[in-house]
Amino acid sequence: MTRNTVLSVEDLSVTLDGLPVLQNVSFTLKHGEAFAVIGPNGAGKTVLFRALLGLLPHSGLVQWQPDVKIGYVPQRFSVDRSAPISAMEFFLLQSPNFWRPSAEFASQLDQELKLMGLDRRVLRKGLGELSGGETQRVLIASALLQKPSVLLLDEPTAAVDAGFEETVYALLHRVQMERGTALLLISHDLSVVYRYAQRVLCLNKSVVCQGPPVDALNPQALATLYGEASFYHHEH
Amino acid sequence: MHTAPHTSFWIALLVGIASGSIGPFILLRRMALVGDALSHVALPGIALALIYRFDPFYGVIVFLIGAAFLVFWLEGRSRVPPDAIVGLLFTASLAIGILMIPNADVVESLFGAFPSLSPSLLLAILLTAAVLSALCFFLAKRFLFLIVSPDLAKVHGLGRGYDLALLLIFATIVALGIKLVGTLLMGALTIIPASIAKNLAQSMRRYVILSAILGGAISVAGVWLAESFRFLPGPAIVLLGVGIFVLSLPFARRGTA
Repeated sequence: MTRNTVLSVEDLSVTLDGLPVLQNVSFTLKHGEAFAVIGPNGAGKTVLFRALLGLLPHSGLVQWQPDVKIGYVPQRFSVDRSAPISAMEFFLLQSPNFWRPSAEFASQLDQELKLMGLDRRVLRKGLGELSGGETQRVLIASALLQKPSVLLLDEPTAAVDAGFEETVYALLHRVQMERGTALLLISHDLSVVYRYAQRVLCLNKSVVCQGPPVDALNPQALATLYGEASFYHHEH
Repeated sequence: MHTAPHTSFWIALLVGIASGSIGPFILLRRMALVGDALSHVALPGIALALIYRFDPFYGVIVFLIGAAFLVFWLEGRSRVPPDAIVGLLFTASLAIGILMIPNADVVESLFGAFPSLSPSLLLAILLTAAVLSALCFFLAKRFLFLIVSPDLAKVHGLGRGYDLALLLIFATIVALGIKLVGTLLMGALTIIPASIAKNLAQSMRRYVILSAILGGAISVAGVWLAESFRFLPGPAIVLLGVGIFVLSLPFARRGTA
């Protein structure tokens, strides 16, 4: 693991209920880079993230840079929409004091809200009342509160209107540029990958291609990744 | 022999507050029915206590803590659907308990009453209820984190230990309240104040505070009704709570189930 590496993954494999879900995945994430993971549904992208975060048992080597701070942006909240939890309280989960947050915490929160283009009024809304775009920005702002050196984003625009997708990626790009935060993101949108990612990993249970998008995403790799996936399965 | 009225009010107040404090987390974890079934496990404990002549409270607490560990263990095994097993096991213990308990004591065991308590046990129950209520407030952030996003909570270092803590606090509160409302209805005492408060509160902090206040108020008012009209306290508390819940329904926000 070299000094400018945040994360080094070697031969990562995950087996769930006796079935191989990920096989021999290897890659490295460098400081401050945007690294995209793409692949069809069921390719193991979310499984990869969960294994990296230590949420799933796995084999192989996952080595984070010592004292790394990881921000994780899951796809959505697990709580039901009727739960009386305000957006403010979601942020307070990161505060040392839940019942009486410090002024320091409040000013730090203001800073992240501003960066994400959120108004303070959003804090009074219930988690279930937030729009898709607000939810995504609240989740990202909350992950940023810890000033992470790397941000893991699981399809950050899955619940967002098409028009707003671009805004989310522009905001993330800003975080990457202004703070040097490395981004590891799962995406479905190839145009986003071309525009914002320095490197890409194509995943379909194992690594299909890897490298800068212009080189890695050649027609042959994309056909293997998406086009021939079902055909490939029939052979078994 | 029954204890003096002011004793029953103190138990109702403190156990009611404790029930109200843990209720929101049980409700948001969608464990309401597991919690209800859990209280049935107390019955064989009561039966053993009656047969071997020790205070039923000790039988109740041992069986409930054991049941809390069992639920925790079942939750950790993804292959087993825990709700079905919890339902079967706990209703079976209800059946065993009914068979074992002498007929004369069945109604009080099921629906609550105030058997005499030694002053030291009374003090222990009141103190424990107060400590557990405080613990609910102290651990609120961690419990909430695991509810809102279990994955995110684990990334922040909150492990399954807090799930176990929630179950143990809940089981102990149920044990404390069983003398007040009985085994069949104690699960309801933890769920009713939280269900009312959920309709009225706009934020989690207000939700927990309101639920705790309602828990204390409904229990005390229920005991007062029971003593005034010579009901059993358990049904009086539960019916009063359900009545207030119905009144709170028009205040429920959209999207509330």
